Amino acid sequence: MNTRKKLTKTLLVLFLCTNTSLIFAQDLSKEDSLANEISMIKSDIGILKKVKISGYVQAQFQVADSSGTKSYAGGDFPSNSDKRFMVRRGRIKIAYINTLSQYVMQFDVTEKGFATKDMYAQFTEPWLSSFSIKAGIYNRPFGYEIPFSSSMRESPERGRMSQIIFPGERDLGASIVFNPPKTSRFNFFTLEAGMFNGTGIASDFDKEKDFIGHLVIAKSKKNEKIKYGLGVSYYNGGWREGTTTYYEGIETLSSGVKAFKKVTGKVGVIAKREYMGADAQLSIETPFGMTTLRGEFIMGTQPGTSSSSASPSAQPTGSSTTNIAGTATGTINIPANSGDTTITVTLPVTGTVTTTAPNADTYIRKFNGAYFYFCQNIGNTKHQLVLKYDWYDPNTEVKGSEIDVTGVTSANGKLSSTDIKYTTIGIGWIYHWDENVKIMAYYDIVKNEKTKISKYTNDLLDNVFTLRIQYKF
Amino acid sequence: MKKKLIIALVVIITMSFTAPLSVSIRIKGSDTLLPVVQKWAEAYMKLNPETSISVTGGGSGVGIAALIDGYTDIAIASRKIKMDEKLKLQEAGKAYVETIVAYDALSVIVNPANKVKKLTREQLEGIFTGKITNWKDLGGDDFAIVCYSRESSSGTFEFFKEHVLKGKNYSSSCLMMAATGAVVQSVSQTKGAIGYVGLAYVNSTVSDVSVSYDKGTTYVASSLKTAQDKTYPVVRPLYFYYLKTLEAGLKPAMTWVLGTEGQKIVSETGYVPLTAN
Repeated sequence: MNTRKKLTKTLLVLFLCTNTSLIFAQDLSKEDSLANEISMIKSDIGILKKVKISGYVQAQFQVADSSGTKSYAGGDFPSNSDKRFMVRRGRIKIAYINTLSQYVMQFDVTEKGFATKDMYAQFTEPWLSSFSIKAGIYNRPFGYEIPFSSSMRESPERGRMSQIIFPGERDLGASIVFNPPKTSRFNFFTLEAGMFNGTGIASDFDKEKDFIGHLVIAKSKKNEKIKYGLGVSYYNGGWREGTTTYYEGIETLSSGVKAFKKVTGKVGVIAKREYMGADAQLSIETPFGMTTLRGEFIMGTQPGTSSSSASPSAQPTGSSTTNIAGTATGTINIPANSGDTTITVTLPVTGTVTTTAPNADTYIRKFNGAYFYFCQNIGNTKHQLVLKYDWYDPNTEVKGSEIDVTGVTSANGKLSSTDIKYTTIGIGWIYHWDENVKIMAYYDIVKNEKTKISKYTNDLLDNVFTLRIQYKF
Repeated sequence: MKKKLIIALVVIITMSFTAPLSVSIRIKGSDTLLPVVQKWAEAYMKLNPETSISVTGGGSGVGIAALIDGYTDIAIASRKIKMDEKLKLQEAGKAYVETIVAYDALSVIVNPANKVKKLTREQLEGIFTGKITNWKDLGGDDFAIVCYSRESSSGTFEFFKEHVLKGKNYSSSCLMMAATGAVVQSVSQTKGAIGYVGLAYVNSTVSDVSVSYDKGTTYVASSLKTAQDKTYPVVRPLYFYYLKTLEAGLKPAMTWVLGTEGQKIVSETGYVPLTAN
């Protein structure tokens, strides 16, 4: 009986022990499995956190002063229209950001099509985390307005000068970025400098590569109520001249009319492209709201053509006009009752023949331009008022009424509408609805110099009103 | 049957109207503030069971970034909001409210085995900028100084740099820790270690160092008393930031935090209550 009892007890103890250890083991395995799952989820989230997708769309309605207005407020209007709806920008940006490297691509998708905006890689050295190398397609490191995002800008477009000398803002190249570490007292300055094609996002058409550099300091006062930034920029490059003739400098002809000096050289000479710029920004928190002032001045030498001072993305083409003078011989049938009579006549002929030339002559101009922003938040509200003034003088050697073509022969280069200075005053209101939505109403008052060339003797009807809604994520 | 169904429906509808609405508050930011905010949350949730409060750290910068992006209702910060952050809030159309909820004394701590128990501001500057590298130069034993700092996203990091190092940069040999607790732990385990933490984090595993801001004439140890009577020189305000649109909804909680009960918890947790300053 005792043995039986003992046996029963032993079995019971064994049973209990086995079962409790099983239960314990089950609990442990559950914990392990949970820990594993959490670890896997963490790892997956870690990978996902490296991928950042952002974008914005800007839909707008615009009214111009006249049909076919040539405009820098989103492009020229169609010849028979002074009103339009358009998607000005439809951006989608995908970035893979690792601790010391990133890969960024950005596209623009609108009714005009699909365009690549950014496509670059950036690597930061691991020792100081201060030096980075950036290569691919990205904003030219020049000034403040060029790299400043269109989704953040208080005016619908960049100033006229920025659009002309840096069309599309981006270029293909490689640069070094230096920013002292956050622990350094010199963390407030950043230097970016590199070499670029100089042709925007298009393939280069010459062997000349352009240097672009921007040194900037950005600091806040200790009370965190004032922030300021100062920068200097430099651009040095050029592009290959496609003809033997180029025009540089202005001379006054015996008639008193001004014209370009004509120089004959050889094909393939590099036309100098050089810009110097200075920019400043200031934001102050006042009882009336946040006030932001921003300005930038750029001057330099810009090679272009007779019809444009814009930086080209391909070898500029043009047309040439040839004067012809001589004789032409032909036959004339004279009907008569007795039968037609054919006579041969020779007459003097004069005229011009216009042919498309494979390359255009280069016009080298001294230019300057600037922009200034005054942005005022209305107290602590979502409303913001904007006042912007900008100018672009593509040819600082001639002024308004000096732009004339009367009596200029082929011994000189004629001045043209390309040489006219424009100033623009922009007045705007922005409503920052939330972190995604922004509404903007903006009016551009555009003034051109009054010249002696046809169509430009008075101010053009080219003011533009823009009503824009932006959604950003 | 129909009658019962109608009665049941009426009861349910009435209950749903009379039952208190649940309130959820998300708080994120400064590690320095975490101990007191957690205590506030616990006490407030006990008094207001319909309110649910979640508190997470990460640093002042992380909290304010979450406020800008809409991932938190209150950002807690041991430094003032920066201009860049203000401009981002403005761009997002978000007006904010800034409220000082308490003060904190920033304590300098060393390993208990260290003989050095007092330092001038200039000596602290020398240590953290890497000019002084051995304790024997400060009257201690001959062993190397190991600096522990919070990482650069921390408000404490910036306050110490601004007020103690007078804007000079930290030595590259300084070890940057992700959390205040990690600084305390590292200092407690390393013989030559020195670090700085909020007073509430100081415990028996580390030694508090008296600090002089008058080139060695007087040394003051960090404590609630010395912070309250303003004799301890390294005291800073602690902030709550929230959106103006939430001001009305958060008013009961904010009134309680700034009131007698909330400020009592401030003292109990090792911070300096508002009434003292």
